[in-house]
Amino acid sequence: MNVADTQVTRIERSTIDRARKWARANLVNGTANTVLTLVSVTLAAYLIYTLTRFVFVGADWEVVDVNRRLIFLGRYPKEEQWRIWPPMWMVMGLGGLSYGMLSRGSLRDLAWLGAAVVFILAFLATTTNGLLFGGGVLVSIAAYGLGRLSIGRPLLRSKLRLVTIVGWFLVIPFAIILITGFGGVKPALWGGLLLNVLLAAIGIGVGLPLGILLALSRASSLPLLKGFATSIIEITRGGPLIAWLFIARFVLPAFIPDAFETDPIVNSMIVVSLFTGAYVAEIVRGGLQAVDRGQVEAADALGLGTFNVTVFIVLPQAIRAVIPALVSQMIALWKDTTLFAFLGFTDALSGGQAAYNQAAFKGSQIEVLVFVALLFWAVAFGMSRLSQRFERVLGIGVR
Amino acid sequence: MVTIRWGKDLTDLGLLWRRRRTRRIIIQIAIAVGVGLFVFYMADKARDLDDLGFDFLSGSGDFPLSTQWLTNYESNDTLLGAYGAGIFNTVRLVVIGIVLATALGVFAGIARLSTNWLVSRLATLYVETIRNTPLLIQIVIWYVVVFLQLPRVEDAIEYSGLFYLSVKGLALPSLTIDGSFGIWVILLVLGAVAAYVLQRWLHRKEEQEGGSKHTVAWAFLLFTVVAVVTYLLTGTPLEPDTPQVVITGANIYSVSGGIQVEPEFAAVLLGLVIYTGAFIAEIVRGGIQALPKGQTEAAAALGLSGYQRLTLIILPQALRIIIPPLTNQFLNLTKNSSLAVVIGYPEIIFVGNTMINKIGHAAPVYLMIFGTYLLLSLAISVGMNAFNRSVQLAGR
Repeated sequence: MNVADTQVTRIERSTIDRARKWARANLVNGTANTVLTLVSVTLAAYLIYTLTRFVFVGADWEVVDVNRRLIFLGRYPKEEQWRIWPPMWMVMGLGGLSYGMLSRGSLRDLAWLGAAVVFILAFLATTTNGLLFGGGVLVSIAAYGLGRLSIGRPLLRSKLRLVTIVGWFLVIPFAIILITGFGGVKPALWGGLLLNVLLAAIGIGVGLPLGILLALSRASSLPLLKGFATSIIEITRGGPLIAWLFIARFVLPAFIPDAFETDPIVNSMIVVSLFTGAYVAEIVRGGLQAVDRGQVEAADALGLGTFNVTVFIVLPQAIRAVIPALVSQMIALWKDTTLFAFLGFTDALSGGQAAYNQAAFKGSQIEVLVFVALLFWAVAFGMSRLSQRFERVLGIGVR
Repeated sequence: MVTIRWGKDLTDLGLLWRRRRTRRIIIQIAIAVGVGLFVFYMADKARDLDDLGFDFLSGSGDFPLSTQWLTNYESNDTLLGAYGAGIFNTVRLVVIGIVLATALGVFAGIARLSTNWLVSRLATLYVETIRNTPLLIQIVIWYVVVFLQLPRVEDAIEYSGLFYLSVKGLALPSLTIDGSFGIWVILLVLGAVAAYVLQRWLHRKEEQEGGSKHTVAWAFLLFTVVAVVTYLLTGTPLEPDTPQVVITGANIYSVSGGIQVEPEFAAVLLGLVIYTGAFIAEIVRGGIQALPKGQTEAAAALGLSGYQRLTLIILPQALRIIIPPLTNQFLNLTKNSSLAVVIGYPEIIFVGNTMINKIGHAAPVYLMIFGTYLLLSLAISVGMNAFNRSVQLAGR
């Protein structure tokens, strides 16, 4: 037996030893814990068995494969599909860049990134758009590399940060202009997951500034302004979103002047934006309360006016403090866009329901619903992870 | 000699605008005028609608509701009766949902902090999966994939004649009451009072003499004895009522007797409880983690067991941090109960929409719906605030 062999066995033995020690300390210390472990092992084994069996044996994924278009795009016209790609590449590039800049460069990060890329590529390899999507993935990887490169290079980093922030702010208007403008697609024809994405984007894009305005109004010393903002916020938050969406459908049309020609989906978008605005307002109000009074007094002493104090001193600090809550609100909004399925719009969920109601795919509800749920889960989970990373980089909650 | 100084006058006007008070007054007048115009416009439009007022509620909508349990609503009842049934269905969902979601959430929150690696991983998996998936899809999955796939009534899954699970829902055994039930309840209340008095008396003795007197155990024993003896004395006022599959027509089967849990109710309840439970788990975990580590260590140093540490030291303190966000989750659950409308469970929005489809009057119906949610939210807030005050540290 040579030296290398001995070393390998020693390492193996020590790994096994360590595993055994770890198991003894964490899994089977004491009777109660051993029982818990046994129960958990049974449960975990059952879950893994059921899931694996379902995914690879029980489920017939053909319904999803055939109806991919219905789930992702709904009734969106095929010949206008090119309009979606540029904003999509932009999102993928920005996503990669942000992740690269926030990443700690650990193996686990790379593993997650690799898994995501492989998953997406495997999923899209069979579609006609595989090439276009693959290009986006390449852009994303390149942007991630650029972001990683900026760590330890302050000059590059500050430039990239500017690009990222401006990019994220521009991507929503860019997407909407490119999709609707220049003889494009009317909102009534938006569909599938695209509709969910655009609804969430518009909801937060309009709701965030609106919410900030409402929060500032509520914090105002003018009694009328304060009362007005407070009543709007509280009335809006008083009922569930679905009730407001039904109001937009049943009650609102009677109150809109005939001069305006309104589209049901545009009405619903306005309602979603107002609803988000009210919740954002309450979050930002919490942030405003967290700003030290001394900040305002110091700015006053420097001779700044009300506007300057608010925009340059108070708001940046207030919003920074509530970024986690704002991301939670964005995730909630993203999940709430599924409500549109029950108002007669073809979003990802109702597209999926249309898919499993086809005669050829009777009884395939579970495959479709699990797939749609997975789509929503992936985006929401990704957002929450990015936000946690962002908090750590910004040092929120660390004193 | 008088000179006209235009400049100064203009400056004065500018100065006037620069003064805070003037600006405040002008802005407020603008708001008042704007809101006034808006309200005037809406009122004007509303008058054209000619469907305001709540008189229509005394008429009949002539539509059935799928859920009958304890509501006894019939198609030819008034719309007010239909809406009342809707309120009852919402409240039933919310109350049971809150109780179960809290239990699940506390359990999962503690499990996430377990020192047992496997347990905490499983709890994390639960929280991260459920929290990031839309509730609506979860409810649809429970309904379409689970409850609608159950066997027909005649092939119902049966458990020793007590439980029947079928596509018509879950049938549970229940108890029916007879005449002497009221007397028994009064005796029960008296028994509870006696048990309480006994517990206080033992507790005082305990404080005077020291040592454990098992106060709760004795009180519980007394109450049980009173309950059993009076139950037999009043002639067993409760009769068990087990569900049975009956044939109501040619090849038409149904379940009668016992309590029927409709599949719609079960699907929404499961969805709400599992979803809200994941959020409550995070709140409980945060509340426990916010406590100084020294609390656990001190309790361990005193020789308390793991269970005692949790129930006597950790949870009572964490409760103070947990209650405000927990109240928020209860309010969310209340509002989320409206998602039941998508699978046709007759809660208030479903009943309201049915009314609007039948006879119109959308504006007043939605006023009622918002009023109902407002009252429910107020009730939860008031109750939880009172509870919150009772657990806060005194003298702060």
